[in-house]
Amino acid sequence: MLEFDALHKSFGEIGVLEGVGFTVAPGSMFGFCGSNGAGKTTTMRIAMGLVRADAGEVRWNGRPLDQVSRRRVGYMPEERGLYPKMKVGEQVAYFAKLHGVGAAAATTAADEWLERLGLGARRGDAVEKLSLGNQQRVQLAAALVSRPEVLILDEPFSGLDPIGVDSLAEALLDQARAGVPVVFSSHQLDLVERLCDSVGILARGRMVATGTVDELRRRETGRLLRVVVPDAVPRWADGLPGARVVSEQAGDTLLELAPETDDQAVLAAALRTGRVTHFAWQQPSLVELFREAVATPAALEVTA
Amino acid sequence: MTEPGPLSSASLIRLVALREISARVRDKNFIISSVVILVLLIGTLGLQVALSSGEETSRIGVLGDASVLEPALVAQGEALDVGVEVVEFDDEAAARDAVEADDVDGVLVTGEGADAELLVQQSAGGTLQNVVQGAVAQLAVAEQLQAAGIEGLAVPEVTVTALDPQADQDGQRIVVAIIGVAVLYGLLILFGQFVAQGVVEEKSSRVVELLLATMKPWQLLAGKILGLGLLGLVQIVVIAVIGVGGALVFDIVDIPGDLIGTAVAVVLWFVLGYAFYAAIFAVAASLVSRQEDLTTVVMPTTLVLVVAFVVGIQASAAPDGTLAVVTSYVPGLSPLVMPVRQAAGEVALWEIALSVALMMLAIGLVVRLGGRIYSGALLRTGGKLKVREALAAERA
Repeated sequence: MLEFDALHKSFGEIGVLEGVGFTVAPGSMFGFCGSNGAGKTTTMRIAMGLVRADAGEVRWNGRPLDQVSRRRVGYMPEERGLYPKMKVGEQVAYFAKLHGVGAAAATTAADEWLERLGLGARRGDAVEKLSLGNQQRVQLAAALVSRPEVLILDEPFSGLDPIGVDSLAEALLDQARAGVPVVFSSHQLDLVERLCDSVGILARGRMVATGTVDELRRRETGRLLRVVVPDAVPRWADGLPGARVVSEQAGDTLLELAPETDDQAVLAAALRTGRVTHFAWQQPSLVELFREAVATPAALEVTA
Repeated sequence: MTEPGPLSSASLIRLVALREISARVRDKNFIISSVVILVLLIGTLGLQVALSSGEETSRIGVLGDASVLEPALVAQGEALDVGVEVVEFDDEAAARDAVEADDVDGVLVTGEGADAELLVQQSAGGTLQNVVQGAVAQLAVAEQLQAAGIEGLAVPEVTVTALDPQADQDGQRIVVAIIGVAVLYGLLILFGQFVAQGVVEEKSSRVVELLLATMKPWQLLAGKILGLGLLGLVQIVVIAVIGVGGALVFDIVDIPGDLIGTAVAVVLWFVLGYAFYAAIFAVAASLVSRQEDLTTVVMPTTLVLVVAFVVGIQASAAPDGTLAVVTSYVPGLSPLVMPVRQAAGEVALWEIALSVALMMLAIGLVVRLGGRIYSGALLRTGGKLKVREALAAERA
C-alpha cells in the first residue's frame, strides 16, 4: 500500500495542504485531480522528499518513504527536466544508476526502454535535438528504467498528442498490471476516468472526494434526474415536492432530488404534462463530479 | 537485470562526479581552453629557449701549432663572454677553404714577422676581432717581457665580492611565482565558471528536481565540485609538469629545486582555492535560473579573485610588505598571495600552517552555509533569489 497520511504544509501564511490523505493499492492506478494551485504538486513533492511536510507522512508498505526507499520510486516532475546536452541513452542510464542499478545493467535497461518507447534510433542524440513529445518519452524512460516499485507522475500527459497519450497510457497500464501502484495527476479528466481505478479530488488543501469513479458516481446518482417532456409548459416542475430544477430547456429538464423524494411521484407529475420521452438517472461524468466537488465546500466530503 | 541495491553517499557523489567529468571533457569550451593553455605554455617555453640560446661561439682557425695561441684565445674569449673554439689548419689553402665554407669564423695567420693576419669571409665581427686582437697582444707582451728577461711577473688579482649573489635566482623565483599565480588565477576563474554554469544548467533545465528525488543537495554539490575539481587538478598538474619539466630540460632556470617547490605549492594552493571558490560560485549560481543572470551573481566573487590576483602580483614585488603579509592570511586571498611569499622570501612554516588553517576554516563555513542556501534555492525557479529567501526556503 502506498499511503499518503494527513499531510499538512503551509508556505508562510498560506496553508496549502490541510490534511491530505489517500491510499493507493499495489497494481492500481490513482488519478489525482484538483484545480490549479490546489496542492497536487506539493503533495507529490512531499512524497519525493523535495518538500518537507509540516505534519503527516507518506508510507510505502507501512514504512515512511526515506531517501533509500525513494530509490524504488519512479518520478516524473511537473517541470520536465533532463540534461539538454547529454545523450539520450547515457542520460537514461545515468538515472538508472542514480536509482542504484549497476553500470552494465543500467545501460542494458536504458536501451531496452528506449527501444520499447520507439527511441532506439535516437539513443546517441543529445536530448535537446529531440522533439518535445520525444523528450517526454525520454522523461518517462528515466522514470521507468530502474524498475520502480511505485510510480508518482505529475501531469504525465500534459503536452502530448493523442497518440502520445495512448502510448503513455498503455505504458502506465502495463506498470499497474505488473503490480506497481501508479499515482498521477492530470487535468484531463476523461483520461483519468478511463484509466484510473480510483480518483482523488483535491480542493482547498483537502481531499474533497476519494474513491473509485463508480463510487463517486453512485453518491451522485440518485440525485440528478433527467426528464424530457416535449409537450410540457415551461416551469412545469416548479413546486414539485423534494425536487429542485437544475436546468430546463424546451421540456428537457434536469432535476435534483432530495434523498427521500419518490422518483415515481416525479414520473407521475411528468406524465400529467403529456408525453414523457426520456426519464433516467443522470450518470454524472467525472468532469461534473469534479465541478461539484471543487465548487461547493464539503459537498462530497467522503472518507475513503 | 539485477535488483537495484542501496547507494551510499560515496557512490552517489562518484556518479555525479563521473557525469561532470564525462560531460566536461566532451565540451567544446573545455577542450578549447585546455588547448589554448597548453599552447601558451609551450610557446612561453619556446620563447625562453630562443632568448637564452643567443650565446655566441666563435670558431677560430689557427695555422700550424695552436698550443700557444689556443689558451690565449680561450682566455680572451672568457673575458669577453664569448665561447671560443680553436681549429688547427696545416696550410693556408685549407684554412681559406674553411673560411669560405663558413666552417670557421676566421683564421689567424701568424707570419714569421710580428704582424698577424686575420682571414675572414667578409668582415670580422667586433667580438671576433677583439678576441683575436687581445690574444695576440697578450702573447706579444709576454714574448717581449720574456725577451727583456722579466719572468714571473706578479699581477695582482682582483677579488669579486657580490653584494647580492642570489639576485638572479630571487628574480627567477619571483617570475616562477608570478607564472604560478597567473595559472592559478586562470584556472580558478575557469573552473569556478564551469561549476556555476553546471549549477544553472541543472536549474534552468529543471533536471535538478529529478536529481534531488534521488539524492540530497549536498551530495549533488559535492559530486559536482569534486568532479570538476579533479579535472582542474589534472590540468594544473599537467601544466606544472610540462612547465617545470620544460624549464629543466631546456635549462632555463638556475634553481631547479626552488622551481619544483613553487610548482608544488601552487598545485596545493589550487586545491584549497578551488574548494573555496567552487563552493561560492555554486551557491551564487543556485540563486538564479538562467544563464543570462549568471554574470551578475558571480561578479562579486570574480572581483575578489581579481583583487587576489592583483595583490599576488604586487606581493611579488614586495613579498615582505604589510599588504602581502596581511593578505597572505586572508582566506580567499591567501591562495594567490601565499605562494608568492613562499617563493620569494622567507616564510616561516607556522605562517603557512596558519594561512592554510584559516583557509580550511573558511572552506568549512562556506560549505556549511552555502550548502543551506544551495538546498533552499535549487527548487525555486524563476527570477533571482535573495540569500535570505533561499535560507528561509531551506527550512521550509
